[in-house]
Amino acid sequence: MTSKIINMADRIKDEQDRLLESMFASEPIADDGFSARIVHRVRRRMWLRRVTLPVATVIGLLVSFKPLTSLVTTLAGLVQLLPIDKIGATSDQFIAQLPMIVLGAMLLGACMVGLRMLED
Amino acid sequence: MSASHDNQLVARVISAQDTDAFGELVRRHQSHVRNFLRKLTGDYALADDLAQDCFIHAWNKLQTFSGRGSFIGWLLRVAYTTFLQSRRKTKRYAEILEEVGHKTETEGTGVATPSDELGDLDRFLAVLTEEERAIMVMSYACGLSHREIGESMNMPVGTVKSVIFRGKEKVRTSFDIKDHQHG
Repeated sequence: MTSKIINMADRIKDEQDRLLESMFASEPIADDGFSARIVHRVRRRMWLRRVTLPVATVIGLLVSFKPLTSLVTTLAGLVQLLPIDKIGATSDQFIAQLPMIVLGAMLLGACMVGLRMLED
Repeated sequence: MSASHDNQLVARVISAQDTDAFGELVRRHQSHVRNFLRKLTGDYALADDLAQDCFIHAWNKLQTFSGRGSFIGWLLRVAYTTFLQSRRKTKRYAEILEEVGHKTETEGTGVATPSDELGDLDRFLAVLTEEERAIMVMSYACGLSHREIGESMNMPVGTVKSVIFRGKEKVRTSFDIKDHQHG
């Protein structure tokens, strides 16, 4: 049945198809800046995609800076509660500077990630 | 419009995110895509908006183009999907408005309706289903082969031929009836 339909379609192609082609025929549509608009949109999307992650990381760091410092300070305080004879006398200075060290490492990590994303 | 040049441009876009190459692809095919969507929707402004969305989708999904079929076939598939998504959104919007008791002008948007003010082609297309219309436009307005349409619509060539045959029959019957009514 299907093959019959296909054969019939092929046979009447000449007459009706010519009519349909003439009905469907239309002048090519002029570009008139259409493609430029598309390219502009694509470039803007690419730029947004590149910028979004680093900006989000920086904002996240700024927002979480205060809670993070208090968390690190609390953790450092907890470490100071450990018996001094077990961790050694030289660790005293290290423990006092621990919050700054941790924050520095976090900032360094964030900068490296941000630079890598910008490079990509 | 050579297929190998299309494939070269696609390769440049995929490998280097080359927006100039993509711009060239848009320039080469915008007329076909806009024409296809204009005939599907019957609304030039809507069709051009959809064409813009279609090319943005194409940019995002370009790596899914295998290069086996023609690029224009793949692009018209993206255009048809964009059109269907838009239709679903419009329909849902109209349903929501109806639910809250508003009458909307969006009903029937995107479908050419028969009217004396419309041209022959619009009356022609109005008697076809969306799928038939898309296939007929691909075949007669964009000049795609049955194989290309099959790839584009994800259906066997035999089915494409049957749909075209059915579409032509519908159109012929519908116009015969109209001729009797007027004559």
